[in-house]
Amino acid sequence: MKNVFTIVKKEFSRFFRDKRMILTVILPGIMIYVIYSLMGTVFANIGATPKDYKPKAYISGAPASMSETLGLVLEVEGGIADVDSAKALVEDGTIDVAVVFPADFEDNYGGVKVPDVEIYFNSAEQNSSFAYNLVASVLGAFTKPAFTINAGGGIYNLASEESSTKQIMSMMVPVLMFALLASACMAVAPESIAGEKERGTMATMLITPVNRSEIALGKILSLTFFALLGGISSFIGVILSLPKLMGSSINLGAVPYGVGEYFMLFGIIISVVLVIISAFSVLSALAKSVKEAGALIGPMMMAVIVLGMVSIFAPSASVGLYAIPLAGSGLAMAAIMSMTASPLGVALAIISNLVVAALLVVLLAFMFKSEKIMFKK
Amino acid sequence: MEEIIKTEGLTKSFKLSSKQRKLEQTDKKVKVAVDSLSFSAYRGEIFGLLGPNGAGKTTTLRMLATLIKPDSGSAIICGKSITKEEKEVRKKIGFLTSELKLEEFFTPNYIFDFFCELYGVDKAVAANRKRFLFGKFGIDRFAEVKIANLSTGMKQKVSLVVSIAHDPDLIIFDEPTNGLDVLTAKVVTDFLEELKAGGKTIILSTHIFSLVEKLCDRVGVIIGGKLVALAPLAELTGEKSLEDTFFELYEKTTGEKI
Ligand SMILES: Nc1ncnc2c1ncn2[C@@H]1O[C@H](COP(=O)(O)OP(=O)(O)OP(=O)(O)O)[C@@H](O)[C@H]1O
Ligand SMILES: [Mg+2]
Repeated sequence: MKNVFTIVKKEFSRFFRDKRMILTVILPGIMIYVIYSLMGTVFANIGATPKDYKPKAYISGAPASMSETLGLVLEVEGGIADVDSAKALVEDGTIDVAVVFPADFEDNYGGVKVPDVEIYFNSAEQNSSFAYNLVASVLGAFTKPAFTINAGGGIYNLASEESSTKQIMSMMVPVLMFALLASACMAVAPESIAGEKERGTMATMLITPVNRSEIALGKILSLTFFALLGGISSFIGVILSLPKLMGSSINLGAVPYGVGEYFMLFGIIISVVLVIISAFSVLSALAKSVKEAGALIGPMMMAVIVLGMVSIFAPSASVGLYAIPLAGSGLAMAAIMSMTASPLGVALAIISNLVVAALLVVLLAFMFKSEKIMFKK
Repeated sequence: MEEIIKTEGLTKSFKLSSKQRKLEQTDKKVKVAVDSLSFSAYRGEIFGLLGPNGAGKTTTLRMLATLIKPDSGSAIICGKSITKEEKEVRKKIGFLTSELKLEEFFTPNYIFDFFCELYGVDKAVAANRKRFLFGKFGIDRFAEVKIANLSTGMKQKVSLVVSIAHDPDLIIFDEPTNGLDVLTAKVVTDFLEELKAGGKTIILSTHIFSLVEKLCDRVGVIIGGKLVALAPLAELTGEKSLEDTFFELYEKTTGEKI
């Protein structure tokens, strides 16, 4: 075990001494953030509400002067029974905004007890957000110290952010995670295994009394860490740019993901990386050069990416299926992000991955012992 | 005399790929690289394996170093079998060849410590040895320079020092002076003599006659995978030069006129 630690230590100092290596691992995350953010900004401008759009509105209890002013910029809809039905219409997008003045508005306007005007809107609708800003700015001209807007502490934005965010996350996270982790593994495994073989530095280690299994384990553990670093930095890049890319239909703050979800997700991610990195390492050990390793891993990489998409086609798979290595982890990730995952199922997915990874490490150690594989001309 | 190496009928063949068959101009699917080699080497001697290109020198040394396994035959190194007690054998030997490289991202300092850890050398002992060996080869000035930035000669010195970091009893050295300038080559050969004086055993392979004449106590001449002569240097050559002796042997074994 001490030798495993020595190897891990060496791999780490190798990694952190090689600026190119660090860049290939970290850079994709930064690139993703920049590109997605730019794309998001472009999309936002394409779908923007025209400046002269007259939002459909429900207004209740407004004093004459204000309803007149608001009438200039809003299309006031009659025939809506009460505030609650107006809110329902805002939520489903039939009207854009509901402006509700309190009954005692005129008594208190300009008085000591500041009345609160409520503007209900739906940020998932471009037009509704536009309407909110419009109404708020028109009324703002009146507010002075006389009244406040949306100070009641209620929920005024009636979009169901939670459910839409959950849905998007549970679709995107497995697909993205698998693709990002696979490419991070691709960035480190061939270099570290086939590269060392090609450069003749592996043989130098193989003439020491260290067990082949210790070398294999040391390599896999450190590569797992580097791939995690890369995969997670890419993932953070994606998450940070999501609000810009998807607009207001996603709001991570609206979903009560807790420590449990993050913990389960992290567990799954680690076990997935272990499987991918071990598989890629085995293929890299077969190759004579970094280039050949890349060619061998290519098809495998596509397969991993496809496995990440399984959750899209089987959105409500039974927990038993989580036990399928890799593919089951995609399902489990989707379930975690929609907050419907059972810890047991997640544990099942993790264990199945760990078993496969352990078998692959044994295989790798076996390959390190084989002179046909290590020293073939 | 203590037998440090004892091989008996050591044999190794390789399957030839079609590409290799073309290269070697043969239709045979299997190449016998080393053919029932039997010899011994004793404590405190420098044993030379002399042979032309493709004779099987490197293959023999790789088997002794436990990197590849013989098809048949056996070899015992310091009383341990190269096939059954590989780990024990690896502790006793230092193997140096141009195909074993050090990772270029590291400094000599780091790489020496790394291999000492892998060999399980005690920290204090390792520090002492490092000071001694680095001083001896002038590596101390470059101890913190990345290996990638060292000259070929300095790289070779670092490789040598690392391969004997654990103070092995047997040093296996494939083409010791290959690619070195005369100055570095002399440092290396002088050191090998020093090791011998210190009771170490050295087996080296070469096709350079002068190196054998300068260093070796006993010589095994290997041609086409077979050991065709094995004797103390003086006995082998008699009145003739090593060169003439070798060519005679070569003509006799292969039937080719040179
Ligand atoms: N891994 C291998 N696969 C196939 N053939 C091999 C392999 N290793 C060596 N050979 C063949 O075995 C024979 C002996 O090779 P070896 O490297 O031992 O010779 P050598 O005496 O070291 O020669 P040189 O002076 O060129 O280094 C050669 O014909 C070589 O092509
Ligand atoms: Mg050779």
